Amino acid sequence: MNHWADVSPDDDDAEESLVRPYTITHGRTASVRDDLTLITVIATVSPAERPGDRGLQPEHRLILRQCRTPVALAEVAAGLNLPVAVTKILVGDLITLDRVTARPPLAVDIGQEPDMTLLQAVKDALLRL
Amino acid sequence: MPYSDSDEQTGSQASVAGSPTAPAAVKILIAGGFGVGKTTMVGSVSEIPPLHTEEQLTVAGLGVDDLGGIEGKATTTVALDFGRITVSSQLVLYLFGTPGQERFWFMWNDLVHGALGAVVLADTRRLESSFASIDFFESRGVPFVVGVNCFHGLRDRTVEEVRDALDLDPNVPVVMGDLRERGDSRDLLLALVNRLMAGRPPAAIGS
Repeated sequence: MNHWADVSPDDDDAEESLVRPYTITHGRTASVRDDLTLITVIATVSPAERPGDRGLQPEHRLILRQCRTPVALAEVAAGLNLPVAVTKILVGDLITLDRVTARPPLAVDIGQEPDMTLLQAVKDALLRL
Repeated sequence: MPYSDSDEQTGSQASVAGSPTAPAAVKILIAGGFGVGKTTMVGSVSEIPPLHTEEQLTVAGLGVDDLGGIEGKATTTVALDFGRITVSSQLVLYLFGTPGQERFWFMWNDLVHGALGAVVLADTRRLESSFASIDFFESRGVPFVVGVNCFHGLRDRTVEEVRDALDLDPNVPVVMGDLRERGDSRDLLLALVNRLMAGRPPAAIGS
């Protein structure tokens, strides 16, 4: 890794943030939402840009950009290079602002009758690999 | 709910806001001892390069009494590697490589929640490193299959030897393969889906 002084601010390789994660969340360490999971799918609500976006942090904007194509929260976290817990807080902000939607995972309960339609779709997808 | 694109109902899926309906997601866990090939497997079948993140998992509230010293609710951070397989416009499958270290087993409750099932990877040179994963999934009634990673086609144990050594139920499939090969990793996932379609075993304990 480069010395910090050698890395220009717009260097794509400057992956290591110099900002501590919980500074981004203004000190919040837990999301007010407890319904967000690793595979909750986050989607940006169109239009992607709105007046008032100047109040958003850079990380919020990155999420809005990334989730124009809906992706799971784990992917959002990986894309931001932030812990999932921090990402949940930021995504929670955007849900509150109605800027993203969150689709919960399909309910899969142990001991439940298997959903054959779902399993067949997964099987077909694997056979296409 | 349609999971297949063959239903051809594209027009009705646009939301009021004009953005496409987001797909729902399901997950399969890839477990096993350290260095057994979890990330290799994720990478061989994922449509994206394996991604990495860190998640906080809850330690307490498990109904077990051998966690001496841990009181109240606590969290700890684990590293996850994961990948994605798009099933249809309405369904996405995520594969999560779970922490390999045995001492993390009690945190899998959080990870297991909502999973279709699990793949336990085993290395014939140290099968004992898979015991923790197998015990956990058996005790939780989570359907799983065992994959034996055979690098370079090395098969020094038979399926029956592995089954005996791991003391597996007869209905748990054991699949040999080179997890660097997409086809082999896919066959392992297919074995799991086939087992799920054959019917889930009753939960071993109340869930």
